[in-house]
Amino acid sequence: MKIAVCAKQIPDPAIAVKYENGTIIRPDEQVLDDTDRYGIEVALQLKEKFDAEVTVISMGKLGTQKGIQQALQMGADKALVIEDESLKNSNSLMTSNVLSEIAKLAQADIVIFGTESSDGYSGVVPQQVSRYLDLPCISYVKGIEINDETLLTRQTITGSEKVVMPSKCVISVTASGVEPRYPNFKDIMAAKSKVVEQVDISSINLTAEQNQEFIEIKSISNDKSGEKHIDEGEAFNLIIEKLKEIKAI
Amino acid sequence: MKSLIIGETSNGTISSGTLELISKITQEGLDFKLITIGSDENPKIGSDTFKNTYMKLNQNELSLASIADEISNIIKSESINLVLASSTYVGRDIAGFLSVDLNASPISNVVNFKIDGDNLSTTNSIDGGESDYLTNVTSEVKVLIIRPKSFEPSEIELNDNYETVSIEKNNLSVAVQDIFIEEKTGPQLEDSKIVISAGRGMVDVENLKFIEELANKLNAAIGGTRAIVDAGWMPYSQQVGQTGKTVKPDVYIACGISGATQHQVGMKDSKFIIAINKDEEAPIFQIADFGVVGDTLSIIPKLIESL
Repeated sequence: MKIAVCAKQIPDPAIAVKYENGTIIRPDEQVLDDTDRYGIEVALQLKEKFDAEVTVISMGKLGTQKGIQQALQMGADKALVIEDESLKNSNSLMTSNVLSEIAKLAQADIVIFGTESSDGYSGVVPQQVSRYLDLPCISYVKGIEINDETLLTRQTITGSEKVVMPSKCVISVTASGVEPRYPNFKDIMAAKSKVVEQVDISSINLTAEQNQEFIEIKSISNDKSGEKHIDEGEAFNLIIEKLKEIKAI
Repeated sequence: MKSLIIGETSNGTISSGTLELISKITQEGLDFKLITIGSDENPKIGSDTFKNTYMKLNQNELSLASIADEISNIIKSESINLVLASSTYVGRDIAGFLSVDLNASPISNVVNFKIDGDNLSTTNSIDGGESDYLTNVTSEVKVLIIRPKSFEPSEIELNDNYETVSIEKNNLSVAVQDIFIEEKTGPQLEDSKIVISAGRGMVDVENLKFIEELANKLNAAIGGTRAIVDAGWMPYSQQVGQTGKTVKPDVYIACGISGATQHQVGMKDSKFIIAINKDEEAPIFQIADFGVVGDTLSIIPKLIESL
């Protein structure tokens, strides 16, 4: 079994995202998107059971590759990455087109994603990749049980459902259900010798195109800070008065 | 522009998200074709004013890829150039599949759009709702994924006047082994006039009983942050935020919630926000109409007592 798992490098989420002409400004040092840790965890659980090979796939500014290293430290075997000027500010279709091609290069049977990235959150890349690769798509997976067969639990609008994981498919994993592992010192050292191979854009069959012309970004002032009271034991009365005033009770 | 709405059923009728799309497209003066996806038996989703095709899912198969094939064919044969879907599980899956077939990248997180002849511009919510990103969409077919609660749902009389198409499974379908329906009791998150939400500040899952009691007194629905859903205190169906539900009640009471962007995006448009939190600097206070700095666990029991 060969698994490709997507790892996106994003700007430090503790700092507000900055834009230039509608494109996210990406510093040299970017970190692994937290939502990808869940997908990587699922990939590693499959690796442990089936002795699968796990390849991290990533697209975008490489910089110091800190985020790629973080994914390798968790336990993935190697990485296939791509950075190219022509892919800057890619829409979701271009992104999934490129990632599908890289998953093919990794000869992946199973391709795993987080549900949506934390910086762009288009939320459709896993579905698009499944379509490009003509594979079943098991989206919004929130649990995995690996026994004789592998059962995936999917989130649905009314609850959840279980499916048997097909031998070839694309999976998106929600940020719950599995507990991403933390690497120890040995894992961190081991990651340093893992191969990170750069894919050249010429080996990618890119058919998707840009389709948005940026107009502007308008910031919405959320700051409507109304009254604020410090509770000295009686603030519950203020809440009740307020609820009456706005006719909620 | 020839438009297609990808609709969904909910509790035997048309989902409120779909009704929002119908109202917006009608407002823009466009005719539309409606395809509704669902697994309900004989839902009431027809109308005398528009045509609706019901694509019925077999609950025992994951077969949205097969439905997408059907829809792609319709879009191509009828030269449809505007496709609207809601940002739901089903809507995102279908829009993602269609976008590859049509070679048209979907525009995600759309909260508004404007049509001017052949031109379409959209307003997309970014940074967890803190900014709007305005664009012109240039692909021949335009696929928009609309965030829920962006438009007022239309009020239309529904009947049984629609056609049903059964979807055959294809090579990409996957058999479903088990279905688990989460029990929903009390007022529903999306429709309730009052929502009470809990965050990490509730300290322990045991303390959620206070939230339940308060919700009972106020006839409110209960929500929670991603942190407590991840911790297993509440089912995912009650998660409010970017990766959960978007709510817009008359009153939102945030209990022990710091107000991370991920949470704010799901509730910041509530009409009146009350926040109770120990930390005076918590970001939730920046969007609260009425804030109380104090211990949620001491304030809520007193509230329950006095209501």
